[in-house]
Amino acid sequence: MLNFIVRRLVQIPLVMLALSVLIVALTMLLTPAQRAAGYIRSEQQAAQLERIIRDRGLDQPFPVQYGKWLQSTLQGDLGFSKSSGKPVLETIVERLPNTIELTLVTAIPIILIGIWLGTLSALNKDRFIDQVLRVFAVLGYSLPTFVLGIVLLAVLYGYLGWLPGAGQLEVINQFAVGDLRRYTGMLGIDALLNGRFDIALDVLRHLIMPALTLFIVSSATILKVMRNNMLEALTSDYVRTARAKGLSERVVNLKHARRNALLSIVTLGGFTVIGLLSGSIITETIFAYPGIGQWVVQSALALDIPSVLGFALLSALIVVVVSTLIDILYGVVDPRVRFD
Amino acid sequence: MKKFALLSSLLLVGSAFAAAPRDTLVVQQAADVPTLDPTATYDTASGAIVENIYETLVTYKGASIRELEPLLATKWAISNGGRTYTFDLRKNVKFHSGNTMTCRDAEYSIERNLVTNSAESGNWFIAESLLGTGANAKDDKTITWARIDRAVECNNAGQLVFTLPKVDPAFLAKMAYPGQSIVDSKHAIAQGEWKGTSADWANWVGKDLQGSNLSKQPSGTGAYKLVRRDANAILLQAHDAYWGKKPAIRNVVIQKVPELAARQQAFLRGDADLIETGGRANIEAQLKGKPGVVVLDNLPNTTATAVFMNENIKDPARLGSGKLDGRGIPANFFSDVNVRRGMAYAFNYAQYIKDVQNGKGKQRTMLLPDTFPGYDAEVKTYTYNPKQAEAYFKRAWGGNVWKNGFTLNVAYRAGSVPAQTAMEILKRNVEALNPKFRVNIQAKEWSAMLNDSKAGKEPMIIIGWAPDYADADNFMYTFYSSNGYYFPRNNWKDASVDKWLEQARATTNQATRDRLYSLVGQRAYEQAPFVLVPAGVFVTAHRDNLVGVSARTFNPMTSFDYTGTLWKDLSKK
Repeated sequence: MLNFIVRRLVQIPLVMLALSVLIVALTMLLTPAQRAAGYIRSEQQAAQLERIIRDRGLDQPFPVQYGKWLQSTLQGDLGFSKSSGKPVLETIVERLPNTIELTLVTAIPIILIGIWLGTLSALNKDRFIDQVLRVFAVLGYSLPTFVLGIVLLAVLYGYLGWLPGAGQLEVINQFAVGDLRRYTGMLGIDALLNGRFDIALDVLRHLIMPALTLFIVSSATILKVMRNNMLEALTSDYVRTARAKGLSERVVNLKHARRNALLSIVTLGGFTVIGLLSGSIITETIFAYPGIGQWVVQSALALDIPSVLGFALLSALIVVVVSTLIDILYGVVDPRVRFD
Repeated sequence: MKKFALLSSLLLVGSAFAAAPRDTLVVQQAADVPTLDPTATYDTASGAIVENIYETLVTYKGASIRELEPLLATKWAISNGGRTYTFDLRKNVKFHSGNTMTCRDAEYSIERNLVTNSAESGNWFIAESLLGTGANAKDDKTITWARIDRAVECNNAGQLVFTLPKVDPAFLAKMAYPGQSIVDSKHAIAQGEWKGTSADWANWVGKDLQGSNLSKQPSGTGAYKLVRRDANAILLQAHDAYWGKKPAIRNVVIQKVPELAARQQAFLRGDADLIETGGRANIEAQLKGKPGVVVLDNLPNTTATAVFMNENIKDPARLGSGKLDGRGIPANFFSDVNVRRGMAYAFNYAQYIKDVQNGKGKQRTMLLPDTFPGYDAEVKTYTYNPKQAEAYFKRAWGGNVWKNGFTLNVAYRAGSVPAQTAMEILKRNVEALNPKFRVNIQAKEWSAMLNDSKAGKEPMIIIGWAPDYADADNFMYTFYSSNGYYFPRNNWKDASVDKWLEQARATTNQATRDRLYSLVGQRAYEQAPFVLVPAGVFVTAHRDNLVGVSARTFNPMTSFDYTGTLWKDLSKK
């Protein structure tokens, strides 16, 4: 196990290097003028297009541009993000904890409740509860995140006024946040650690709608996969054997059938976490949640290349790290899966 | 279960407290704010904040864009035949850092703009005034530290003295631009910015300062100071030591909310005082008539847009056959004034105003905002007249245009619905004149269109201009001079127009300048180098408890165009 972990950790920088070549090469598909246009905002500035290309070396060959980018990246300088008005690295450090906080609040319910509902649905196959859950799954599957988010916002905030609107904090708390000592960068957790329960509660209230949106969309997938896995497991030989041995239905279902049904959920759950950590682009945008996803969509629209590159690198890192964790976890869940 | 119910109610209740507090102005917008450093400010989103943190020497008087008044200066004198400007500076003005403003700060600020003059900034036009070129020392080796130093100096009396290489009647208006704000030199240098001396000036030439240390920690003399900038909000508070009248609104929060629906909900509930509204169509459909909402309409628009007709098309690929055989056009197709007039008569201005501007548009006589000094409302305008259009096309190119027809490739910026509609209106009307007339419309990516049109490759494009400063020169020279920025896009050259525009640049006599611009307007009407696209009427919306917003106080040169005022002039009831 230890060998495997070490081997995977060594692979990470190599994979990242290969990915960085690919990512930078992809941005080079844009012409120097297209990339330079990302630095200007008006017709007046367009007069300076050639100067921008020259000053930033956008017309230089790929190896030169890649070399410069790699050199500054290795020195911790990912460039300046004009979408955030801050250096890219600073922007990531500021926003990633927010996305992690959203992921923490969202991923656990998505996976656990998804598993529970999938199990419930399978164990009650074709009964009323199964029908209801299947409708929920279809809705979650098919409803675009964008539509769901807007509907929740319009109803729960606009019409009923039960929940706060977009953002992370009420105006009244925004000034107070500056006084908080930051430990984790996650606002809610830091507020708790500072004893500011009012701010923590405010953060939590603002998390409900984005979390609910993500929950409805993502848990539906887990529910559906878990239901199918469970149905398959319940008809398998080892479950029949377990029943024949006289084990209780509860033990058969939960210890035998569900354990096996969970195997593919490990991967699916992992990818759900990857998706959330890489930024829930649409959800964060609708609810103006200051995470990674909202930033990258703005950066992409503004052709903010340093930001897009920084995000791509971060995403790649998340994918590589979480994939490694999934592989490790897979081995833990299924002893048959060993690492060679 | 009880605990769950308690937590639920705690989480759900509380939005009642959400409405924007009385001492706080809440603005929600989708726009990015790239910088808070004046020298790098060249977009309205940044300018809207910079102009409230910093101050310039002069500013526009109230809603007027014709009159300037002192701000950090108390008065100024023009001497040396209009080439020397001497400013007396306000005393006892404190920066946010606590430092007192001196002439040295003013000198440092303008010199910093001249030294850096990065490609992304708007400093080219102040460099034109003070150094005679818009370039920086990297691109123009004749620019030396000595020239920069001489151009801006403090004299022994503590006055700020500008020495221009030649007369520039727009100089004062240029000094009202937020990019020319006075920064706290001691604070800036302490943050690691340019030291203000010859020792390190060369290292700062052309440097993009959008993300400068000063942008992160600004210190100005404005009525508001930056408190914090986080991922989604910029928080500002009134500057207690402000030299002027104490602002009624203590806090300002600029929130980034990319989604229009979310902004709209916040606005309708009163959680936001001002929002980026999404334009006239959305205001009229979603906000007008709603409780607590005030719509402020019929505000001046200070942009100008035109369809360019290129008289020297430099890309054979855009010419089709390259001949007047119905399958293309010759490279100098638009050099015949009859073609240009035919196009001008074929554009349905009223339909554009109705379809694109919801009836709230206005035909202008020249490519200059009608509120600007120099605008002549008496110059004639083209109207949609198919008979006249036909008559001119019949005369064009000795009758060959009408006989053989043409295929014309036109372009607009992809994603711009108004530009697309304008081109479609023109296409439909031109093609209706003669079945042999063909107009192919192409949506082009912005960078490609800018590049190709600048290289003279595009036969016909639609493009606009927004002012940097409220002087006719910023529009008239740009559009009509053969030395102007837009010249390569239409290659229209008229010796008289060039002469008049240079004369207008060389005198500070406003009456003379008005007459010269009027002559340019009349000549442009006769020669029709552009199809003038009607200007939309600006509209904005605000919550009804916001005081200080009105057509009377709205200044279109203010970057904070939600109200057209500075925040210090607003209050809430």
